Amino acid sequence: MPIGIKSYGAYLPKYMLPRELVAKAWDFPTVPGTKAVAMEDEDSLTMSVEAGLDCLAGIDPKTVDGIFFASTTQVYTEKDSASLIATVLDMREDIITADFTDSTKAGTTALTRAVDTIKANKDINSILVIAADTRKPEPSTMWEYGFADGAAAILVADEENIPISIDDYYSVSANVTGPWKRADKDEFIRTFEVKMDAKFYVESITKVMSEILKRNNLNPSEDIAIAAYYYNNPRMHSRISKIMKFGQGVAQNSIFFQVGDMGTPMPFMLLISSLRRPKPDAKIIMAGFGDGADAILMQVRDKDGVRDIGKGRMGFIGHQKSMTLLKNYTKFIESKELLNKDRYTRKSSAVLIWRDTPSVYKWYGLKCKNCGAVQYPVLSRACSVCRADDQLERVKLAKEGELFTYTLDHLVGGAYLNTPVPRCVIDLDGGGRVLVNMTEIENPEENVKIGMRVELTFRKEHEGAEFKNYYWKCRPVRGRT
Amino acid sequence: MSTREGENLKEVINMVRHGIKDKVAIIGCDMTKYGERWDKSQYDLLFEAFQSALKDAGVTKDEIDASWIGIFYYFTGLSGAMVEDILRMDGKPATRVENYCASGMDAFRNASFAIASGAYDIVLACGVEKLMDEGGSGLPGFTQFGHPVYPTPSAPAMFSMAATRCFHEFGWTKEDLARVAVKNHENGSHHPKAHFRSPITIEAAMNAPMIADPLGRFDCCAMSDGAAALILTRPELAESYAHADDYVMVKANAISAHTNFPWYIPPGGPGADFTAFPSTVKAANYAYKEAGITDPRKEIDAAEVHDCFTITELINCQDLQFCDRGQAAEELKKGTFNWDGETAVNPSGGLKSFGHPIGSTGCRMLTEICKQVQGRAEGRQVPDAKIGLAHNLGGAFSVCSTTILGQRD
Repeated sequence: MPIGIKSYGAYLPKYMLPRELVAKAWDFPTVPGTKAVAMEDEDSLTMSVEAGLDCLAGIDPKTVDGIFFASTTQVYTEKDSASLIATVLDMREDIITADFTDSTKAGTTALTRAVDTIKANKDINSILVIAADTRKPEPSTMWEYGFADGAAAILVADEENIPISIDDYYSVSANVTGPWKRADKDEFIRTFEVKMDAKFYVESITKVMSEILKRNNLNPSEDIAIAAYYYNNPRMHSRISKIMKFGQGVAQNSIFFQVGDMGTPMPFMLLISSLRRPKPDAKIIMAGFGDGADAILMQVRDKDGVRDIGKGRMGFIGHQKSMTLLKNYTKFIESKELLNKDRYTRKSSAVLIWRDTPSVYKWYGLKCKNCGAVQYPVLSRACSVCRADDQLERVKLAKEGELFTYTLDHLVGGAYLNTPVPRCVIDLDGGGRVLVNMTEIENPEENVKIGMRVELTFRKEHEGAEFKNYYWKCRPVRGRT
Repeated sequence: MSTREGENLKEVINMVRHGIKDKVAIIGCDMTKYGERWDKSQYDLLFEAFQSALKDAGVTKDEIDASWIGIFYYFTGLSGAMVEDILRMDGKPATRVENYCASGMDAFRNASFAIASGAYDIVLACGVEKLMDEGGSGLPGFTQFGHPVYPTPSAPAMFSMAATRCFHEFGWTKEDLARVAVKNHENGSHHPKAHFRSPITIEAAMNAPMIADPLGRFDCCAMSDGAAALILTRPELAESYAHADDYVMVKANAISAHTNFPWYIPPGGPGADFTAFPSTVKAANYAYKEAGITDPRKEIDAAEVHDCFTITELINCQDLQFCDRGQAAEELKKGTFNWDGETAVNPSGGLKSFGHPIGSTGCRMLTEICKQVQGRAEGRQVPDAKIGLAHNLGGAFSVCSTTILGQRD
């Protein structure tokens, strides 16, 4: 059976920073466009959960046999992210997990390794590959114009009627120092000579794409319908397109102007944004870059199937439509935690979080067999409505609901930081009442209302006990299914 | 009333069982000045309240057989040994009671049971809290309570969620809340021991900075320091002490404990509508049953109710059956709960005027009601007060203690 792309999903943060605000902040020459900015309660892991949920909409997560996570901004260097993402997505325990890190081509590398793994193992039929990055630019450098935040997911599977087949892949390895970030010392990415970096990038990515086309006897001007290759500079992008001799409109360049340089998920995002109206049998080339390059050759096998994936998902467009502009530069700086404010911390316990995995991560509640009430979290063995003992069974809760009551809390743990926090009591669709904080809300005094519809989003809460404490928050509906 | 509540009322009859009506007498009580007592420690405050209560009762400290102390916070003190460290009772039995903001009244309840059982002759019920030692920006420690990631709303946030629902259900407004603050600060201006002794205006209350929408600064009780103490004995022994002619009888005492997490109770469960506090409803039912009160609005002359927030007082007045559901704001506006109204609510000025040194508050309320039914609440005496009620509510409306006191026969 053909191995290929069964589904995809994306995540773009709610906010965009106009580049002119960076220019104004530092008296730099103005650069047009905007870039996607994750808030302080987001990181590569939370964005991966969002992209994963988008990708698995309508697909039982228990049917997926593995998860590969790709990022240069993984949240731990010892302790993987893939296993935590798999847990939150409620995948099985007998799956394979791996993190691919340290290079912006980690996404394409993970994708090719997923194909290899599926080919080599009869028990592994599908792997979810998620790429995410939240690279933090040093203030008052050119990186501030580019570095953007986002995540993209591709479900690779071996099955009949695969909508897009993955037909070949090819890689080159190369080493040059730049850009880099030392594991033990640097907070920000550094570079020695950007012009050399650019030359090196153009050479690697054209070489890897040329080779894979050559060995498949494909003519770039005639045979390729979609080219989705990593870029962090629009001029370099068009130069590559010219060198490659791609046809008009083939090289996907729709992202940088509005969204920016997302790093690892960039090739996936370019691909996803190009799949709205696929041509039958269209051949696709995707390429990632970073200390070498990967090229992947794909083909649309079922254009209706590809369109169907898009229908049930937010993908690129759905997120793009629901983004809003940040009003000032300081909000951006604060979102990157560069203001050095004291952060809100709480006590924590790795034991407790582990024991509460079904409630905290997987979003399960309980349903009373006696009275039918759905309840959350797991507190007692007795029903909180009818008081019956030992009649509660585990049920999966919805991630959408309606606001029952709320307050805007200015006293967050006794410290006045990032306030007010909307504390929201939500009646979930299908039952269960929960208390969650609200995120992504402007002017909460006017916009938070009884009866409003919300959806849940997985977010970073605090770093009590010196580890990452995540939990669900609610947000005004963006449209994830 | 829903069927469920009807069933609960049936339980009330069973729950009261034997009760302690007329088995316990209060023979002395007093409180410290409440406020930002920067120069005083919890040791100073409790010692002062205790000595005043002894003097009031006309007993010596060696006559005290056992003590119960209400303390909420670990930084005020841990264990019954606090009694020994502060009062030097020669190793006599002492127990710390913690039950959220109802800690003080629960200490009193335990002391009452000890007397009613006949185990002791004279006991001490007291409470103290030294909040200002931790700074004044809201109750301390909320980052250390509970689960690591489930939201822990601040105390005003918990009650604000009820305010939001009451606004929605009953049409109450910020102005209705402000009237509670105005009434209580007016009452408190006459009380020499109150933290705040200045009347305020509706406009000031409505325009104060937000703490947890819709509750602003004047909707919230203040951080404060204070202590209060009561001396209890059996009625037959009460005749031998200073208040032989006007000791106060305990007519009822009841506690109800509900969930710590009302925001997880599914629709249909107790308290899920956020417009009534089931712990108060139940504790009041138990207490009225025990005391034989059938028309609380008429029979209760003075009530100290837990006005930690203005919204809480309005809901309390309904839960304690001083008025119909949804009517508290209107009744307040009509003057029903004024100092000279049909049911005087918080004639002392309440938590709004005293602040809320957690463990002490229940004992302060009881002290206030004692003085009201004894007719010695100078400057704030409710005319002809015979029966009084003290209501202490803690947590996320989780624990309620309600006590009814009356004049001796």
